[in-house]
Amino acid sequence: MFNLMRNIHLILGLVFFVFAMIFAVSSLVIIYRPWLNQTPRDFEHTVRVTPERAATPRTLALELMRNHGLAGDLRQIEENDDEIRFTITRPGTQTQVRYSAGTSEAKIQTRRHGALETLVQLHTNHGFWHDFLPSQAWALVSLLGSIGLFLLGASGIYLWFCHHEERLIGSIILGAGLTYSLTTLVLSRAA
Amino acid sequence: MYEWMKKLHMYAGLLSFMAFVVWGFAGVHAVFLPPPGGYQPPEISEVRETPFEAPGNLDDKQLADLVYKSAGITMAGGFYNVHRDDSQNLAFLVFSANGRRDVTYLEDQKRIRVEIRDGGLGNFLSSMHTAHSRRGAPDRSARLWGWYNEFSTWAFLFMTLSGFYMWVATRPRLPWASLSFAGAAAVCLILWAATR
Repeated sequence: MFNLMRNIHLILGLVFFVFAMIFAVSSLVIIYRPWLNQTPRDFEHTVRVTPERAATPRTLALELMRNHGLAGDLRQIEENDDEIRFTITRPGTQTQVRYSAGTSEAKIQTRRHGALETLVQLHTNHGFWHDFLPSQAWALVSLLGSIGLFLLGASGIYLWFCHHEERLIGSIILGAGLTYSLTTLVLSRAA
Repeated sequence: MYEWMKKLHMYAGLLSFMAFVVWGFAGVHAVFLPPPGGYQPPEISEVRETPFEAPGNLDDKQLADLVYKSAGITMAGGFYNVHRDDSQNLAFLVFSANGRRDVTYLEDQKRIRVEIRDGGLGNFLSSMHTAHSRRGAPDRSARLWGWYNEFSTWAFLFMTLSGFYMWVATRPRLPWASLSFAGAAAVCLILWAATR
């Protein structure tokens, strides 16, 4: 049993190694963001789109995705008489589109974040409602990683308990951690 | 070196165990959160009113700030959407780790009304998993949790790296272990490339 659990712990750790690094590093980026001085890069260009390919915000977005290299989830649609506005977003890249029916031009403003900020956006990418397939896949990996964290924790506790010489000091450390964390959590919930 | 690494790996995991449970829960809970624009506030679970008389020389923002500080709302991180309701009372929203609070200053009655919308345990844990030493509600218990959460983040990074080291130090030639690592890393790299 010990060897089985040891192997399960190892395989879970290896399967989720890269993802655990993404979560750990992005968490630290969130914590120490003010010190990191990250600056996104902004780009802007204009493309011509015929009115029939911009009949609705969705047809315009599809046109821009198919023929002008945009990719991501379509969000924040605003429409008035002459103008369509929306955002196409994916982890690390947000694009704002403003289309004028009068000029048949779409002004495309793209903000591209660096690798660290992209990790943060992967960290917060969740739910299975995305149009953008890689975002859906990251959400699935995120869910599996969260379940993996439970399993790693449970198998880790078992492995520790099998080390008889570590039971006393381990119990003290586990007890101290649980007492501190549960006390602060319960007091916060009851506040 | 290996024995010390193993001990530290174990101790770090035991000390941070509760944080990992909360993070795991928050990750699963996040799957069920509504998409952007789909947020629906929980039902009002309780209404509290407290007497309060504001000075007459404050603008709405100053008054909202004073009402916010006087309302005794715990686990909150500021107020938003200051506006006038249908009866022209000053109203605003407060988001706390325990759920949303709709605050109204009933100027004629000289009372502050707080409508409590309890977010439930799931939203509470989800909110707490984001706390660290400088982020989260200013309440002491939340600050202390934030320190623990931040320590656990470092512990998690250490455990990830030390776990990898222990694999390399003891059983690097296990074929299924190498395959698992390489396969998962390849999936992440492909997804990264597709996303960027």
